[in-house]
Amino acid sequence: MRNDIAINKTNLKEKISQDKNKEKLVIEVKNLSAYFGKVKVLKEINLSIPKNKVIAIIGPSGCGKSTFLRSLNRMHEIVGGTITGEILLDGKNIMKLDPVLLRRKVGMVFQKPNPFPTMSIFNNVVSGLKLNGIKDKKILAEAAEQSLTHAALWDEVKDRLHESALGLSGGQQQRLCIARSLAIKPEILLMDEPASALDPLSTSKIEQLIHNLKAEFTIVIVTHNMQQAARVSDKTAFFYMGELIEFDSTSKLFTNPSVKKTEDYITGRFG
Amino acid sequence: MERLFDIYLEKLKTRLIKMSSLVEQQVDLAVKSIEEQNSGFAETVLERENKVNKYDRKIEKLCQKIIALNQPVAMDLRLIISALTINTNLERIGDLARNIALRQPKLTPKPSFYSKTKIQEMSLIAKSMLNNSIDAFNNEDIDLAKKVIIKDSVLDDLFVENKELIINFIKSNINELEKGIELLEICRHLERLGDQATNIAEDVVFIVNAKLIKHKYQKYIYDDIDDEDKDEE
Repeated sequence: MRNDIAINKTNLKEKISQDKNKEKLVIEVKNLSAYFGKVKVLKEINLSIPKNKVIAIIGPSGCGKSTFLRSLNRMHEIVGGTITGEILLDGKNIMKLDPVLLRRKVGMVFQKPNPFPTMSIFNNVVSGLKLNGIKDKKILAEAAEQSLTHAALWDEVKDRLHESALGLSGGQQQRLCIARSLAIKPEILLMDEPASALDPLSTSKIEQLIHNLKAEFTIVIVTHNMQQAARVSDKTAFFYMGELIEFDSTSKLFTNPSVKKTEDYITGRFG
Repeated sequence: MERLFDIYLEKLKTRLIKMSSLVEQQVDLAVKSIEEQNSGFAETVLERENKVNKYDRKIEKLCQKIIALNQPVAMDLRLIISALTINTNLERIGDLARNIALRQPKLTPKPSFYSKTKIQEMSLIAKSMLNNSIDAFNNEDIDLAKKVIIKDSVLDDLFVENKELIINFIKSNINELEKGIELLEICRHLERLGDQATNIAEDVVFIVNAKLIKHKYQKYIYDDIDDEDKDEE
């Protein structure tokens, strides 16, 4: 009898461990290379992004981390770049998807807050929905409230939704941009150094927000701030000269990296 | 290019090395004070105890400063974390040396059965463990650290053996009961000294290999502990 219990416990433990290993992948990058003209800026990257996790991309300037991020929603093409290899979003090759539809699924937040200057706070948030033909005021109002709440901005702006977005502080403007991205209900949110232009308090709010958002979205964040990467992400990828050097759980990478180059970079010995 | 951070690390290592050398001297003098019936040695140990405590405070403050100002990661982080625990272990070894020295007056003259005990053997092993653990830290020498860890069980066995010996001597020399108890206490201090040296050796393994082997060092020495580590994450 005791043996049976022991065996069942072992099976359960194995099952839990198998389930843990079966992370649902939302993006699979296979042999991705990116070019500007003939210059290869990303070299055969292979990387899988699990659902509802925060992935940080770190590396010195020029290592290809922003190019990698922009490849994920085909913005690399907009700046004149090309790619080879495959990027699968939920198993589908993104090169075969309509770029506009793709960017609806894969939203992006940039380094500098970029609210639409002529629009009110409300219109900034719902601009994507309006562009997609949604005109119902009730739906728009609900979406605005939901997105602003998600972006932890609702309480601060609910009484001035129709004022100009430019009246907000830098940190609020960045959260407004996040709310704008969330309004169109993306699956993935790409963030290119979203807090680098913000003060410590606003940075802390953005980091808290990232932590909360991962319950519903998958987030890929490029950051130069390694402490930020360590604080907010579940997994970290280290890029160097266009190559993916190491990709591992953040706690492993920041306490005991497997590759010497990663250790040298994160401890500030180069870069 | 040297990092600004390396200047802090060098300072920290230098302080730890100075502290460990002082603590080694303290242990050496304390043991000698008993063996050679030298009250001067015992007094020196007690006088210098403050110096050990001062190093303890200075090292802890420096570690706090390094963590607050530099947010170390990877091997740097392991070194700072270990420096804090090594510092605590050295401070406790300093306390053990003081405790041994404090018993010197009560053990003068030595009990009649002193030469038949294994105290000298124990002190030699404990001192060599301390010395080796500090060398292992200075040179990041994993092999030497492992030797210290293995030696701890030798010292533990010797402690049990010696304790029985002393208890038997006390039984047949009941008029030397008090001295016998003092000797038992010294044995216990020496055994604890071995434990502290082992802790330092385990920290050396952590600094160099990033393996946390506390409380399961035997597994580390004789098997691979990687799988078990994963379970604990």
